[in-house]
Amino acid sequence: MSAIITASNLNKRYGKKPALDGASFTVEAGRIVGLIGPNGSGKTTTLKAILGLTQFDGELSVLGMDPRTQREALMNEVCFIADVAILPRWLKVKDAIAFVEGVHPRFDRSKAEKYLANTKLSPDMKVKAMSKGMVVQLHLALVMAIDAKLLVLDEPTLGLDILYRKQFYQNLLEDYFDENKTILITTHQIEEVEHILTDLMFIQDGKISLAASMDEVGERFTEVMVEPEFIAAANALQPLSQRTVFGKAIMLFDGVHRTQLSNFGELRTPSVADLFVATMKGTYA
Amino acid sequence: MKTMKWLIKRELWENKGSLVWAPAVIAGLLGVLAMAAIFFGRHVQFNEAGQAMSVGTITIEGAMRSRIAETMSQAYVASAMPVFMILGLLVFFYCLGALHDERADRSLLFWKSLPVSDLTTVLSKVVTAVVVAPLITLGIGIALSLLILLAACGLLLAHGTNLFGAILSSPDFYLTPLRLVGLLPVYILWALPTVGWLLMVSSLARSKVFLWAVGTPVVTSLLLLWAEKALNFGLDAGWFVSSVVNRILLGVVPGSWLAFSKDTISLPHEEHKLALPDAIFSASWSTLGGISVWLGVVAGVAMIAVAVWMRRRREEG
Repeated sequence: MSAIITASNLNKRYGKKPALDGASFTVEAGRIVGLIGPNGSGKTTTLKAILGLTQFDGELSVLGMDPRTQREALMNEVCFIADVAILPRWLKVKDAIAFVEGVHPRFDRSKAEKYLANTKLSPDMKVKAMSKGMVVQLHLALVMAIDAKLLVLDEPTLGLDILYRKQFYQNLLEDYFDENKTILITTHQIEEVEHILTDLMFIQDGKISLAASMDEVGERFTEVMVEPEFIAAANALQPLSQRTVFGKAIMLFDGVHRTQLSNFGELRTPSVADLFVATMKGTYA
Repeated sequence: MKTMKWLIKRELWENKGSLVWAPAVIAGLLGVLAMAAIFFGRHVQFNEAGQAMSVGTITIEGAMRSRIAETMSQAYVASAMPVFMILGLLVFFYCLGALHDERADRSLLFWKSLPVSDLTTVLSKVVTAVVVAPLITLGIGIALSLLILLAACGLLLAHGTNLFGAILSSPDFYLTPLRLVGLLPVYILWALPTVGWLLMVSSLARSKVFLWAVGTPVVTSLLLLWAEKALNFGLDAGWFVSSVVNRILLGVVPGSWLAFSKDTISLPHEEHKLALPDAIFSASWSTLGGISVWLGVVAGVAMIAVAVWMRRRREEG
């Protein structure tokens, strides 16, 4: 496995406010990485930097290229869906396919048509006549037909109903993803992506605060339903967070061995959402 | 080249209403009006040598007949003049929207996700403005004028004057549309400062593109005028208006070059016995001998370069 993206010490300011403050990370090939952070933490700026849509300081290599200077070559290998509303309203389904086929060397029309056959979209339909969900289906059809090495998704399912959201990720996983492809996703709907992610990156105040594979996350973080008599002992191990459910204290520990914690009560692996809330504590305070 | 073809198709998909349907509808209306005038009007008249003749009452023969045939074969495209004039308006508003609309509707992100450079994209918009749009309008205009000519000749035939042979055998009948197409390079060169200015404003302005495009030069002119009159600065506001403001706003109007160069160019068809279309054609090409057109080209290219740079570097929220 080799690194698809290597970023070191990325910096970017909008006025006085830093959007990226020394962010460093790597993304390996064949992974599905969730880049997760609160609003204004630098998620979108990171994606824009990777896609060459913004200027920044620091070193960034995407597929061996610098997105600042080799954008056009990079776009042969990279696809992205920014959020739902970026297909122009006047575009027809058949024109969208013809255009992408015309300008993209790695586009396979039959794949797009095969995918569209399972939707309600017809060739003469214009984007302005589509629901949000249908627009995303069209965009996904275009993107899935491109044999790209990296797919970047920025809140791809924003504003879609649960049926479209489930279907979106299912299509992505079943019909698109393979070991030669890498997907980088940002979303606030963590619960819906956590089962498809292989890697997790948390971003906070322009810095990467956590970068680990899901397996490592499972090993490192443990949640314990602490029995009342052990609360003091458990607190001594400095839990990341503590909440109370049905009168029982639930504590989240980072890097404490499971055998040690199992004395306090029932163990479980925390959800990404719980982990996120615990690590981002105080963000808006 | 293949990418350019698709980019231009893309522009036509987006702007079909203004670049194709608008001239077609105007041509259609003109056609209907002309037909109505030809078939229902009683006073279709030719004014020749100060003598008015109604075609309904006489049969035209001899020298007069060939004179009329000659005039018609030279000047029939003039009947589509309103269509050609509308081209300036279409190109103006096309350029204003070209780099602004894609930012306004955020589709810029989609176009940028494809392996097409900003330079190629902006050039496709320039080509659409100064080559594709004029050719579409010319095609529609020439088709309309042929139709009107045909109808007029048909009417004359019904009254016993057959001009078909004379017109069809006249070289001018075929040369006139070709001359119009042959003016395209002149149009491109004179339109470049305006196209460049409008594309630049389109790439710069966050909103109110029209206000920026027209307001900036107009307000600047007024300020200069005020400085000249009130403060007695040695400024020449008139020069600014004629050589900057007019050039960056009116260059897309077909034939603007004759107005811009009126000091140096004349239409000497009267004294040289040259046919008017021929005179316009050679006068138009002779405007390229002056320095002013080339200064405009340089300015236009520079402003297009700014537009490319803005599209490359500008970030949208």
